[in-house]
Amino acid sequence: MNTTPETVQRETEPAPRSEHSRTRRVGSWREHHGWSAAASLSRLAARPLGSLLTIAVMGLALALPLAFYLLLGNVQQLGQVLGRDQAVNVFLQADQAESQARLLAKQLGDRSDVATVTVKSPQQGLDELAKLQGFSGALDALDQNPLPWVLMVQPRAGLDAPAVERLVSDMREMRSVAQVQDSGTWRQRLDALLGVGDRVVAALALMLALAALLVVGNTVRVDIASRSEEIGVLLLVGASGAFVRRPYLYAGIWYGLFSGILAALLALAIEFALSGPVARLSQAYDGKLHMGGLPVWLLLAVPLAAAALGWLGARLVSAWQLRKAV
Amino acid sequence: MIQFDQVSKHYEGGHEALSQLSFTIDTGEMAFVTGHSGAGKSTLLKLLGVIERPSHGLITVDGQNLAKVRGRGIPKLRQRIGMVFQDHRLLMDRTVFANVELPLTIAGIARQERGRRVRAALEKVGLLSYERQLPATLSTGEQQRVGIARAIVGRPSLLIADEPTGNLDPQLAVEIMGLFAEFQQVGTTVLIASHDLPLIKRMRKRVVVLDHGRLVADLAAEEVL
Repeated sequence: MNTTPETVQRETEPAPRSEHSRTRRVGSWREHHGWSAAASLSRLAARPLGSLLTIAVMGLALALPLAFYLLLGNVQQLGQVLGRDQAVNVFLQADQAESQARLLAKQLGDRSDVATVTVKSPQQGLDELAKLQGFSGALDALDQNPLPWVLMVQPRAGLDAPAVERLVSDMREMRSVAQVQDSGTWRQRLDALLGVGDRVVAALALMLALAALLVVGNTVRVDIASRSEEIGVLLLVGASGAFVRRPYLYAGIWYGLFSGILAALLALAIEFALSGPVARLSQAYDGKLHMGGLPVWLLLAVPLAAAALGWLGARLVSAWQLRKAV
Repeated sequence: MIQFDQVSKHYEGGHEALSQLSFTIDTGEMAFVTGHSGAGKSTLLKLLGVIERPSHGLITVDGQNLAKVRGRGIPKLRQRIGMVFQDHRLLMDRTVFANVELPLTIAGIARQERGRRVRAALEKVGLLSYERQLPATLSTGEQQRVGIARAIVGRPSLLIADEPTGNLDPQLAVEIMGLFAEFQQVGTTVLIASHDLPLIKRMRKRVVVLDHGRLVADLAAEEVL
């Protein structure tokens, strides 16, 4: 121990003020963030099996609501495609002339909730009836065409059941309209079903996010417990709670980020697996059905949100654990 | 200056570790706290490091009432105190350098300055060539010196040590105590809890003697025989 009082003096003299300048502190703070991020990552890599299992559990938990979201989106689209073939038929009063039928068609066509209006003349109606087996003879016996002008109103795509209901109700109120035929029950049922599906996906996402939070929290809790001696030393040499917590918060972020990436990849795999059957279904609907994939923003948001979730889980648990340590 | 004024410490279950303890240690003074096992030596040091809180009484360090040190004030206070433990309390998965660097990293000292001061501290305890080694590869005495380097690297105004020579052979114990005496010579207040009476006598410093938590003797350096 080759020291002299002089060297001790030099090393124990009060620190110069500039040393504690804000810039240096910020630089050191950033450096510790970098160290914490790297150290927590290497700790994850040091126990690959445990880390992979945690990430896999979280990834699967987060992938499940994504899969349901994908399914729901496609069911919605299927409903819209089916809806295109389900126009609302508006039968006008028998005494209505062509000009009045066309005027009404234009009025309805101008509405924001209507996509298209097709005008069908009494003669067209009669011709269609004539094509139906067994009607031709009966129609020949008629001395005049009893059929009215008909407007085939196609509601705008994506319109929900209550909005279609309002449109139908408005058309029923029109003076020149004799009858409105809407087979909208199925639409209401589908809408209700999709509403339930929306809630289920939201509830599932919430519950599984909570599960992911608990998984991270428990992993970090075990990690902190196994490093209690180190934490004790850090606190004794003057580390603040934030300083001690930092590596564990980064661990939470890494767990969340990797599980979020895994969840996005699993969702993409499900999307890929569904693409074949959906293509066949699309053919059955004359190519009108296109599979709705997960939007890019969602695929990017999932890892980020999962990282935030991981941070939150680690933050809650580390605060609780460190309170006991202090 | 350290001041204990009628300080008592009771643990749950009724055990009284310290009882109405009053004494003062001046800035730059070196003193030993001695007594049998259970006399209250470690408790006294824990109160100074705010690891424990007194049940009664007032403790001040450089005029700061420790009872008022709470929350974020605790790490700031501990950064001003160098602590040395009998069991070293080193981080075994980090190198000697990283262990000694720890208080400087915590204090937010820049990397270059940290390197310079860590090497100076290691040189002081004679372990500069060991900086890249893990503590587990060192002897007990060397590990203790790493602990001392870590305690002094932050340039503390107060150095407290709990049985720092408890696991060392007599020769090494004398060397370690000599090192503490050097810090005192440059103005650092040094308080050492030890039950090694021959060593204490050899150092010829003030001695505070405790028995069952009570102050039974406060001997000036010249009174130590």
